Amino acid sequence: MPESQNNRSDAGVRIVRTTSTFDCGGRCPLRLHVKDNRILRVEGDDIEEPGQLRTCLRCRALRKYVHHPARLMFPQRRTGRRGEGRFERISWDEALDSLAGQLKRIKQAYGNEGIFLATGGGYLAGLHNGGFAATRLLNQFGGCITHYGNISSEGAVWASLTQYGSVMVGNSREDLMNSRLIILWGWDPARMISGTNTMYHLIRARENGARVIAVDPRYHDTAATVADEWIPIRPGTDTAVFVAMANVMIKEGLQDRQFLDKYTIGFDRFKEYVLGRDDGVDKTPAWAADISGVDAAVIERLAREYATTKPAALMDCQGPARSAMGEQYNRCAATLCAMTGNVGRPGGSAGGGLMGIPVGHMFRMSAIPPGKNPLEAEGPNVKGTLDIRLRVVKRVHINKIFDAILKGKAGGYPADIKLMWSMCNNYLNQTGNSNKAAKALQQLEFFCVNELFMTAQARYADLLLPVTSAAERSDLTRPWPSGPYFTFMNRALEPLGECKSDLEIASELAERLDIRDFNPHSEDQWLKLLVDHNPEYRQHITDFEAFKRDGIHRVKLDEPIVAFSDQIADIEKNPFPTPSGRIEIFSQRVADIGNPGVPPIPMYMPAKEDRFDPLSSRYPLQLITPHPKNRVHSELFLVDWLSEVEPHRVWLNPADAGVRGIKDGEGVLVYNDRGTVAITAWVTERIIPGVVCIFEGSWYAPDDKGIDRGACANTLTRDDYSGGGAAVLNTTLVEVKRETPGSQPAEPGPR
Amino acid sequence: MQIGFYFDQTRCTGCGACQVACKDWNDVDAGPEKWMRVQYMEQGRFPKPFVSYMIAPCWHCLQPVCAEACPAAAITKREKDGIVVVDSEACLGNAACNVKCLKACPYGAPQFGPQTAAKMRKCDFCLERFEQGKSPTCVQACPVRALDAGPLDALEARYGSCREAVGFDYSYRTRPAVVLKAKAR
Repeated sequence: MPESQNNRSDAGVRIVRTTSTFDCGGRCPLRLHVKDNRILRVEGDDIEEPGQLRTCLRCRALRKYVHHPARLMFPQRRTGRRGEGRFERISWDEALDSLAGQLKRIKQAYGNEGIFLATGGGYLAGLHNGGFAATRLLNQFGGCITHYGNISSEGAVWASLTQYGSVMVGNSREDLMNSRLIILWGWDPARMISGTNTMYHLIRARENGARVIAVDPRYHDTAATVADEWIPIRPGTDTAVFVAMANVMIKEGLQDRQFLDKYTIGFDRFKEYVLGRDDGVDKTPAWAADISGVDAAVIERLAREYATTKPAALMDCQGPARSAMGEQYNRCAATLCAMTGNVGRPGGSAGGGLMGIPVGHMFRMSAIPPGKNPLEAEGPNVKGTLDIRLRVVKRVHINKIFDAILKGKAGGYPADIKLMWSMCNNYLNQTGNSNKAAKALQQLEFFCVNELFMTAQARYADLLLPVTSAAERSDLTRPWPSGPYFTFMNRALEPLGECKSDLEIASELAERLDIRDFNPHSEDQWLKLLVDHNPEYRQHITDFEAFKRDGIHRVKLDEPIVAFSDQIADIEKNPFPTPSGRIEIFSQRVADIGNPGVPPIPMYMPAKEDRFDPLSSRYPLQLITPHPKNRVHSELFLVDWLSEVEPHRVWLNPADAGVRGIKDGEGVLVYNDRGTVAITAWVTERIIPGVVCIFEGSWYAPDDKGIDRGACANTLTRDDYSGGGAAVLNTTLVEVKRETPGSQPAEPGPR
Repeated sequence: MQIGFYFDQTRCTGCGACQVACKDWNDVDAGPEKWMRVQYMEQGRFPKPFVSYMIAPCWHCLQPVCAEACPAAAITKREKDGIVVVDSEACLGNAACNVKCLKACPYGAPQFGPQTAAKMRKCDFCLERFEQGKSPTCVQACPVRALDAGPLDALEARYGSCREAVGFDYSYRTRPAVVLKAKAR
């Protein structure tokens, strides 16, 4: 019989209503069938259709994750070399004494600035969140150095804050039904869940008669399902095409002058740039065609179609913004949304990349109060700043954590890092340049990791603390960019093995660090408090017990939410939350920063490792690293039900494969100066020539020659960020060659 | 009565949620045994490729040739609802009969695990759910509502009687219980 045979008779099976806490972009009601402290089956939402919030394949496989035989079940201490993966079991008392002792030792020897706390998005919930407990603990311990920004969306955040003064730039997904034209720009919701049911709403909008155009280096599954037209484009050149579309609109008088006059400032400055009155370069479709690989005639037609079809939703996602100059892309998209008068209108869109709606958003959830970090008390005021340089005075940019460990103060970082404590993340795998990260981790005096699995990063730990999965905790969750609804997680299982939550770990450390009253509440009390003290919950949740019982509270809306509809209805009464009260196509705040990397109007600019970099003579292919469909970043990686859905492969156009003698299904090496990954080739017509694609999140696994056999995309990417703070993970040049068994690559990556 | 499946190929994104939900509900390990499969088809050349997906459960054929092929009479078609079920205990195992059912089925529905003498198992329309009045788990799992199931005549009344789709050949010999909406190039 298969190993997973369970006793599935109905007797004694409990149905537990909960959700996951993955950083997936959805939040779906789940009904877990539980018996003998084991999840036997997973069912989804059970209200009558339409309106079910249907979970995706990831949570359908949840029990294989929770009960995975590789789950870490007890504390462990390293016995081999760092990164070798050899550990021995120890008791919790030994483990907590060890971490507390190391924290005290580092504090005494180097001060609190020797301590680095790496939190993350591994679980997103109110109580058991990405490191709030540890943040609260270390803040009470005298502070620590930590990171700024998130790896996913800083370009979009910067663009939205600049343009609109707000990150709530999305419309309800139901509003797609009002669109006549939908442009999927770097957006693949069949794979990257932009809110539960988003792909379904998109399909229904198409069935309702909307024309759909996909602009993307890949003919992704969303395009294959709904797009009337695919416009292949080179990565990093989207802004050039936007600028040329603006050029067409201006020259043909297609822009919505009334809208621009009433709701925006600075359009004239943008127009000067577009027409080349400042630099002598008329940014015509022909100009953009040379840059982007999109025919000038196609750019002209797209510009006219977008400007004259009303309403039209330009859906610019975050992937293209995860690049050098990434924020220019989302800003320029938002500018086109204004030029076409689609902001704040049903069926339109505001652009800006974030797609979140302002009711029930995850960003507006309550969490354990972290308190103030004493080490940041003296720093510059960074609240709302667009000057990224100020944000890295006291903190480290998320895509520079490992560089900061290697270089410290001498490299311009805020501290010399001696100890790292990490939880809810696998940054070695999920930020740029994994080989550098592996090297940096060797340099730490002490590295403690709270984890569920022996991830690529956890292998480098000195001390491993086993953490409960979300099924072993009660909590509050919220949808991420869409809703509105609120979800309650009922604990399905008692903690497995010796696992503890991060909150329990922090609480037990508090006693050892002589911190009093660190955790005064039980889990149930915390959850009630977090609901009672949150203005949105207070408004919507009138019956806490019913909320718990149902696991969800759905907010009924008369009409879909449309971002900035209040501003468009009455701009005098409801100005935009920008300094001018208008949409800022020109931003004085940005001009005042004086950083040429972030001009005050959106602009296309050349960048390091773009397709025209001289380095392209050695590494002629551009690499993109989109979200995988069968895991959440690097979470769920070991779940075999999911990995068998889609093998991990590099996408190659037949033209690029042919000249390299590569056949479909063959082993290849993808490499640049930062590293080499070994991976299977998938030769497909679905990617533009000159570009290769590896989905992020596969676990880094270097062999003894330094070749990453796990084919982690970030072995190839760069640990840098744009002027607006975007991680440049989609701005990477590589070369690909066949891997002949037993041979060495011509240019092996660094060890 | 004859039950059947409806599949809207124009909606399917190939995500695999149906396949995973099937494995979860029926407790089937990762590996070659897949009671629900999702087949991928790519045609055409850059920049105009054509991509489609086709699901492959058991179609609970009106003429189940698998049942005729089975030397142990382990496969039967239920009189009252037309669900084709296998008595895995009675199955001789894949080695003993050299997978006669699988060879007979034009759709590859009979499934065998990787172990020696694996007994045949396959989609049973989520019989346990069916008897409680629930639709198969794959139908409930589809995030884009590309699937439906129920009495075949009701499906035909609702969705028509198209039996063509990319990557699917309707077998007049076995007569699969299916209504399709095909993706057009």
